Amino acid sequence: MTLELSRLTGQVRALGEELAARERRYADLVALARRWLVQYADWGERLRHPARVIRAAIPTDEPLNAVHPLPAAPKQFAVIAADGSQIQPDRHGAALYYLINVGSLVYRHGTGVAPEAYSEPTLGYTEADLYENGLLVAGNLLDVRRDLAEITRLADLCTVEPLRPTVALVDGTLILWVLEDLPAEGRRAKVMAYLDQLARIRRAGAVVAAFISRPRRAEVTRLLYLASLEGDVNRASQELNPLEHLPDRAVFRTLPAGARSALFISPSPINHEYYHPAGHAVHFYYLNLAEEGRAPVIARVEVPAWVAEDPDRLKLVHAGIVAQARITGDYPYALARADELAYISSQEREAFEEMVTTALLRTGVRTTLSPKAYYKTLTRRGRRRYRL
Amino acid sequence: MSNGGLQVGRVLRAGTRGFAIGCAVMQPDIPAFGSFVRAEGQAPGSAIYGLIYDVSVEDDPFVRQFISANPPEEVVRDQRENRQVPIEVSVLAVGCSDGDVIRHRLPAQPPVTLDWLYQCTDEEVRAFTARFDYFRLVLEAREVPADELLAASLRAAAAVRPESEQETFLVEAGRELTRLLAADPVRLEGLLRRLQA
Repeated sequence: MTLELSRLTGQVRALGEELAARERRYADLVALARRWLVQYADWGERLRHPARVIRAAIPTDEPLNAVHPLPAAPKQFAVIAADGSQIQPDRHGAALYYLINVGSLVYRHGTGVAPEAYSEPTLGYTEADLYENGLLVAGNLLDVRRDLAEITRLADLCTVEPLRPTVALVDGTLILWVLEDLPAEGRRAKVMAYLDQLARIRRAGAVVAAFISRPRRAEVTRLLYLASLEGDVNRASQELNPLEHLPDRAVFRTLPAGARSALFISPSPINHEYYHPAGHAVHFYYLNLAEEGRAPVIARVEVPAWVAEDPDRLKLVHAGIVAQARITGDYPYALARADELAYISSQEREAFEEMVTTALLRTGVRTTLSPKAYYKTLTRRGRRRYRL
Repeated sequence: MSNGGLQVGRVLRAGTRGFAIGCAVMQPDIPAFGSFVRAEGQAPGSAIYGLIYDVSVEDDPFVRQFISANPPEEVVRDQRENRQVPIEVSVLAVGCSDGDVIRHRLPAQPPVTLDWLYQCTDEEVRAFTARFDYFRLVLEAREVPADELLAASLRAAAAVRPESEQETFLVEAGRELTRLLAADPVRLEGLLRRLQA
């Protein structure tokens, strides 16, 4: 063991004390934020424009403090979830490639039928796969390809799903996060490809939502601060926001079991620039997944405009997510399984690397790890114990 | 050696006295406690015979979440039919064969990791239980429920014989047990009762 835990004890103790102190500070701030939520509940229309300017949650027509109880779920409905994982290209490895593995689960509530589980690996290894405008497809570029693979898989499954209604679930956000330093046309093409898949899901007659567990966004709290300044953008930009680091979920812990908050629109510039004109403007709400009598479990749910503006679709997503989360307790079962189906374990990674090396040898390509990678395999594996 | 029997799983780890195999899903036709199984030996045509003495499902934290939650039928079926729930089957070695003659003794070498384990065919079970020398290996095995295992294996061996021969087979087995356990009448009585059950 190289991490000297004994040298961290003091720092860990200080961390605990800092978190406890922060909790105490937050208690006062939460009370303040909830007071503002009630006080400015009807200021939505007045705050809409200034909220966009300072990237706060953008109010919809619902009062800011609206609470929507858990609607009834249909007797039978399908939930389709997809999640992805990847192996990044490794320039120290035997060959340069990337791997994306998309796991998906089709769960048909109320049917008693075994869900359908899929795992779809895709290997990128040609020059065309590996480079984009001269850049190696790694990091954010690969994340974007994985996100596109996930949403495409969801759209494919929604298209062939016979059970209606159908809810398609994404883990994380619906907003494709593309680095701003990419060429504008390249960014646009990626986002439009993502929006095309949302449109396919819509045409298939399904609804789509993204689920964020333990969200850390502070967009509604920024809106409340803006409201306390009566929408004055200049003051909001210049003065210190006391709620700056207070996550929205802390404000919504008073939601009754199964209930959702008001709808808001995401202030992300990508949402405004690309999603909104295409009819997919991302809306979000907070949702208490817990059952009656249990401690609240607050999640953030994102839906496109065509779901947010249709009461029946909105209720379906709300009820469907709560039904899924209550199978495990606090997280949608189908998403947990999709993650499991996508996950590439270290043993699988090693086995795959061996497959690649064998394939290269068969074609007469002699290859080795870089010296750096070779010595890492020697020093990081630890001692092996043999057992009979 | 014919591999006509049903494949049970692959060898996970092995020793001379026994071995463990892993399989993904519990199938109705996977051999149960007391079944005769066979793994290929190291020499061509040779085989190692064993008795299944334990079938265990390994711990899985995800499944544990549902134990007290009364999960929906869809979840139960997903866990059983789709997930790779690891099942471990433990086998006691009770004999070996060079391809012609079956001997009731420990094999000289254990099977190798990832070798297939097969359920013995009815013919193999009849051939193996034509003699009772393997009783001593079972009765002296400390790590297994020996009496239960021997009784279960004898009931399985009787079941693959014609009905008219089953009682004779069990009576002969009982005589051999009486000889081996003459000094331990309490244990003998318990074992004979299990044979009749």
